[in-house]
Amino acid sequence: MSARAARRDRPDQGRPSPWALLLNNRLAAAGLVILSAVVLLALAAPLLPLQPPDVTEPAERLKRPLAEGHLLGTDDLGRDLLSRLLWGTRVSLAVGLSATLIAAFFGSLIGLVAGYAGGRTDSLLMRGIDLVMAFPYILLALAIVAVLGPGLLNALYAIAVVNIPFFARNIRGVTLGLARREFVDAARLSGKSHLLIVVTEILPNVLPVIVITMSTTLGWMILETAGLSFLGLGAQPPQADLGSMLGEGRKLLFTAPHVSVIPGLMIFLVVMSINLLGDGIRDVLDPRLKSGALARPSARTEVRRERVPPEPEADPGRVVSVAGLETQFRIGREVYRAVGGVDFRLASGECLGLVGESGSGKSVTALSLAGLVPSPPGRIVGGRVDFEGRDLLAASDAEIRSLRGGKLAHVFQDPLATLHPLFTVGDQLVEAIRAHQPLSRAEARERAHALLGQVRIPNPAARAEAYPHELSGGMRQRVSIAMALANDASLLIADEPTTALDVTVQAQVLKLLDGLRAERDTAVLFITHDFGVVSELCDRIAVMYAGRIVETGETQAVMAAPAHPYTRMLIDCVPVLGQPGRRLDAIPGLPPPVNRLPEGCAFAERCPRAQDDCRAGEVPLEPLAAGVADGRAVRCLHPIVEDEKKEPAE
Amino acid sequence: MKRMAGALKGALTGGALATALLAAGAPASGLVGEAAAQTPPGVLIVGQIAEPKSLDPQAVTAVNDFRILMNLYDGLVRYKDGTLQVEPALAESWTISDDGKTYTFQLREGVAFHDGTPFDAEAVVFAFERMLNEDHPYYDTGPFPLSFFFSAVESVTAQDAQTVVFQLKEPYAPFLSNLAYPTGLIPSPTAIKEQGEDFGRNPVGTGAFKFEEWDSNTKVVASANADYWGGAPDLKAVVFRPITDANTRVAEMLSGGIDVMVEVPPDNVATFAEDAGFTVHEQAGPHLWFLILNAKEGPFADKRVRQAANYAIDKQALVENVLQGTAEVAAGPTPPAFSWAYNEALEPYPHDPEKARALLKEAGAEGAELTFYVTQGGSGMLDPVPMGAAIQADLAEVGLEVAIETYEWNTFLGKVNPGLEGKADMAEMAWMTNDPDTLPYLALRSDAMPDQGGFNSGYYSNPEVDQLLEQARRATDQAERARLYKQMQEIVREDAPWVFVANWKQNAVTSERVEGFTLQPSFFLLLHEVGKS
Amino acid sequence: MLYVAKRLLAMIPILLGLTVVVFGMMALIPGDPATAILGSYATPENVERLNRQLGLDRPLWEQYLVWLGNILEGDFGRSYSLNRPVIDEVLERFSATLLLAGAALLLCSVLGLLAGAVSAVRQFGWADRTITFLVLIGISLPSFWLGLLLILLFAVELQWLPASGMVAIYGGGGPLDILTHLILPACTLAVVATGVIARLTRASMLEVLRQDYIRTARAKGLSERRVIYRHAFTAALVTVIPVIGIQAGFVLGGAVYIETVFQWPGIGAMLVKAISTRDLLLVQGGVLVVAASYVLFNLAADLLQSALDPRLKG
Repeated sequence: MSARAARRDRPDQGRPSPWALLLNNRLAAAGLVILSAVVLLALAAPLLPLQPPDVTEPAERLKRPLAEGHLLGTDDLGRDLLSRLLWGTRVSLAVGLSATLIAAFFGSLIGLVAGYAGGRTDSLLMRGIDLVMAFPYILLALAIVAVLGPGLLNALYAIAVVNIPFFARNIRGVTLGLARREFVDAARLSGKSHLLIVVTEILPNVLPVIVITMSTTLGWMILETAGLSFLGLGAQPPQADLGSMLGEGRKLLFTAPHVSVIPGLMIFLVVMSINLLGDGIRDVLDPRLKSGALARPSARTEVRRERVPPEPEADPGRVVSVAGLETQFRIGREVYRAVGGVDFRLASGECLGLVGESGSGKSVTALSLAGLVPSPPGRIVGGRVDFEGRDLLAASDAEIRSLRGGKLAHVFQDPLATLHPLFTVGDQLVEAIRAHQPLSRAEARERAHALLGQVRIPNPAARAEAYPHELSGGMRQRVSIAMALANDASLLIADEPTTALDVTVQAQVLKLLDGLRAERDTAVLFITHDFGVVSELCDRIAVMYAGRIVETGETQAVMAAPAHPYTRMLIDCVPVLGQPGRRLDAIPGLPPPVNRLPEGCAFAERCPRAQDDCRAGEVPLEPLAAGVADGRAVRCLHPIVEDEKKEPAE
Repeated sequence: MKRMAGALKGALTGGALATALLAAGAPASGLVGEAAAQTPPGVLIVGQIAEPKSLDPQAVTAVNDFRILMNLYDGLVRYKDGTLQVEPALAESWTISDDGKTYTFQLREGVAFHDGTPFDAEAVVFAFERMLNEDHPYYDTGPFPLSFFFSAVESVTAQDAQTVVFQLKEPYAPFLSNLAYPTGLIPSPTAIKEQGEDFGRNPVGTGAFKFEEWDSNTKVVASANADYWGGAPDLKAVVFRPITDANTRVAEMLSGGIDVMVEVPPDNVATFAEDAGFTVHEQAGPHLWFLILNAKEGPFADKRVRQAANYAIDKQALVENVLQGTAEVAAGPTPPAFSWAYNEALEPYPHDPEKARALLKEAGAEGAELTFYVTQGGSGMLDPVPMGAAIQADLAEVGLEVAIETYEWNTFLGKVNPGLEGKADMAEMAWMTNDPDTLPYLALRSDAMPDQGGFNSGYYSNPEVDQLLEQARRATDQAERARLYKQMQEIVREDAPWVFVANWKQNAVTSERVEGFTLQPSFFLLLHEVGKS
Repeated sequence: MLYVAKRLLAMIPILLGLTVVVFGMMALIPGDPATAILGSYATPENVERLNRQLGLDRPLWEQYLVWLGNILEGDFGRSYSLNRPVIDEVLERFSATLLLAGAALLLCSVLGLLAGAVSAVRQFGWADRTITFLVLIGISLPSFWLGLLLILLFAVELQWLPASGMVAIYGGGGPLDILTHLILPACTLAVVATGVIARLTRASMLEVLRQDYIRTARAKGLSERRVIYRHAFTAALVTVIPVIGIQAGFVLGGAVYIETVFQWPGIGAMLVKAISTRDLLLVQGGVLVVAASYVLFNLAADLLQSALDPRLKG
């Protein structure tokens, strides 16, 4: 979640242009260089001091490469292979490109019409496409060439026709999704004609898909054209294209392999560079891969601590102690300080609410404890987390694994996304149990049913056989909670467990969590952006902003008299019955990008009370009232105090 | 089919396939090496260029199929070893009536078909009646595409068990030669009656080898006929294996998978010739590779332009370089393999671009633009695309602009055989025939225009040639025929309706284990005398 | 079950449409079977006589209806060029192709999935780089050319494997014999599809590994092996399987080149030849079988997918 949130925070000026992104991709850049070189050579063929490609010189036939006057040797008619290669590449590239353009044009047209019109038009067009696809593609091409007669142009048409279905299907899929979207409805209501809607509303959104499909099919098209020419159906002699050169050289494979090996290598080089470039283009254009976060998260967050605080003094009642926790995301050359030094402690049976806006770093904090921040790009660079008598950031992978789901359990936000869609909830529970307890499958199953019962799921044995998508949101979250409780956790980290649920279900789940906490004496770290929820459940709260705790204290105390202006505003945003319109995002401005944190107080920009000193330097988290050990602390130079009205802060 | 399905099942069960595939390499290697070396003595494995269409002698047209057929069947007559002269086979002797219209054959006695039924006059009558008589009960086991070889036959009758009489509608000199052709081979009537249209896949003849099995697309196996009237063959069995790709054929030959390979690609001949483990065989045959010129319209309507084309094309370079010496330069319309009918005095057009330019200038055809039909393959076409390209380059040198259009063989025939008029100025073509009559009679006569059922696709017409050909056909005396053909060749060379390019020397490669192998000018593959150690 | 029946029914109009297209197309191709059979002897007169014998002198629509009627009775007609029942030839050729394509498909699925998964798990490691590089080479090679190079190396130079065919000429036919003949063509045929599947598996795995439920699996304390091979791989498989179905089509299509290069007696090579000899009935039969198998492959992929993914059921 938070990685995504952090990404959203990236300022626009920080995002490299697509061009720069493409060049950043070393492989794509290599592809571009090779392709450019080949294209340039091919384009320059008429200008280069080459021998004429079609002039035969029987006495010079089958000269090996590096022969006198023939750098790449000659073919069976004594024609210069270098010259034919470059002229042939010219032809092959032109044919491949034209075929791609033709296929892209007609395929996209069919796809757009089918996807936009839907209904009968759609199914009729798609049946036609199915028909073409059911015909083995090479045979279709062969048949088309047989009908039209051989020749480069006809081969081009054949290849284009054969590839229309790919474009049509891809584009139709995307269009189908777009055609039902609000902005299209809006355009329709505004009286735009269908044609105009397709051209101005849908096409721009489909264009990247067309470009991606083109870049990924171009190489394939060149191969196919070569294939047809190889079979003698493409370029007509004496014209050379790479495929026909290969076909002509094929019968000399044993006697003069270079005649076929050279054009084969050229095809390979061209297609490979196009593929490399195509991959690069896809990565740049495909929004899901855009941010460069296509890296696979490893099993555990990378820990490279630059600062390690000393071990805290022993305290038998304490379950977890977090000190100086710093977690960053490194994307490209940018460093996002998602968590910038967080400290808190939790006693058994205690519930701490970690509150903040999206991107405040609260979820990253929670995930950092058990090393669940995706890495790359996540990295823990400082702090320590003492749990069960050891520093989790220094523990081995095996230790962490045995703690996860055991003593240290999680409940996540969206239960549909967090449960595996392909396994039954019973299986997933059993799996969680058996990961930590040496039970047989049957015993674990029994235990799973019992757990489902404990989270108030009626008829647990039957529900255990259900797949996540077959359950309601509330039920799913109960399953998640049951899973978290499977192995007697001493710390439960609940990351916005109720956010995705509707209000009544939310209350039920909260009640359940609260009951279980009381019953089992489990410490709970509760992450939320909702003060309403916090006040119901938490003993203490910690408010986070831009990766740091800005205020902490007993829930009632903070709620009653917030000291930090940010806390104040957050509380003011809590919807109150009878006062509609108060929402979290009512705070003017945006949090600072965490890769460009300002000097001093991060909230200063949005703070009505901010003064010059706020922007001057590090603002520490200090007890609100000196000497009073009530745990209240605030990171503010000018906190709101009771006597504020009498003595306005300077 | 059954065997393959079984093997398929065997291969798939046990999941052995995947593991074995993954472990491909070392364990398999030894096996193949052994298997290749294991082809036993006495079993000859022949690499054919294609799957046979049928083994019914009256149903096939391809030389490739003839190679098998000639070993399974016999005809009444056959070509004498190493020549295109007819000698007795199933017929021990024959007489021809003075008017040249009645042929009476005395059949060999004591010959039996492989199915044990006797070979007699009735069998001969059955063979020809089936092919020629539309009312024959087994006419529907056809079609018989080459039945027109015997269109001159009016009737076939069995005078007695050992005597057959052919009555012709008119004198037809090539008749005996046609009888020696595979279309004249005699199948077992009993087998045809039993098998019906499946006879082509279960052939029964009288030949030196007995058909054993035909595993589609894989092999045709024939075993020695111990009771063969000409003596049992040395080989125990012959396996014909279709390998359509020339490269693969070469690879199989090199790796020992086949013992004999026919139609070796020109560029590979040298490889085999240098290797002591192989013997290369060559034999000039009745083959002509030529260019049809459109004498009806366009530049080639002028004889001087046609001659110019003959001068411009460097045929020597073509046969030496493109065809790697697997052919000889052709001088005229009749291949030298018909030694008795070939005019030795004929000289090929020399390569003389100067003369060509001069002729073109004279005819005002300088810089003419020409359309040239080139085929991609086809029987006897050798290396048609490079040949076409080289010819194009030669013509360009004398200022003729040639645009090539290539077609796959059957499309090509569909375009060329109906005539070039309105479509093209020149087209590649090649013929393999069994009689000096066939090609000129079908392709150079005024009465053989495409719309009259002939092959004169270039519309050449010379009454003198027409008359010579008619006379030669009616003459039963070979010396007289030879004189007429030689005269015809001189006229045709001068008129240059074609560019005479090459006469192919058929080639084959045998491994060192093969003995007694020779190629025939007829292009047939005769394995009766062949052995293998 | 109903779903399968529906899909099978939906196949019928496609196949029917296909037969019309094939008939029309074959009629448009210049040249006719008689010319093909007669070769050099194809005079108009001879062609006409032969056409009459073959029943090709009747109007096209009549020929089509006769053919369709025969099909319904299970008679696919007789091939002009091979002089045997179409159904025999087609089934025989098709089982050879099925063996080749099946082996290639098995190979590319196993290797592709494996390589893709390893590549994703070891992202940016040397294994990933090696696999990515090999895959890139694989999808950029003209397969017909690769086949030739393999023959040159393994059959001619090293003599480890046979150059062509499906069984050894003498004493061949055993499973091991077929297997040795199968290795080169199946590997050549599998190369491109392996690359495509590996790339997709890698992308899909990477996508899946970023999903919340993978984080859940890790939060449960499962071993990394279990997280990757049970949770992530299964989920990735759901997106890869339909693509394997599509690849089946490509493998069947690509078999045309491979069968030609390796002389594998399959249906692809048969169809190429049938088109060139204008053997209409053989083309019809062959296309029908190939198209049907293509549709069935996809159906099987869809069924497999919905067996794996409960969300697609019902």
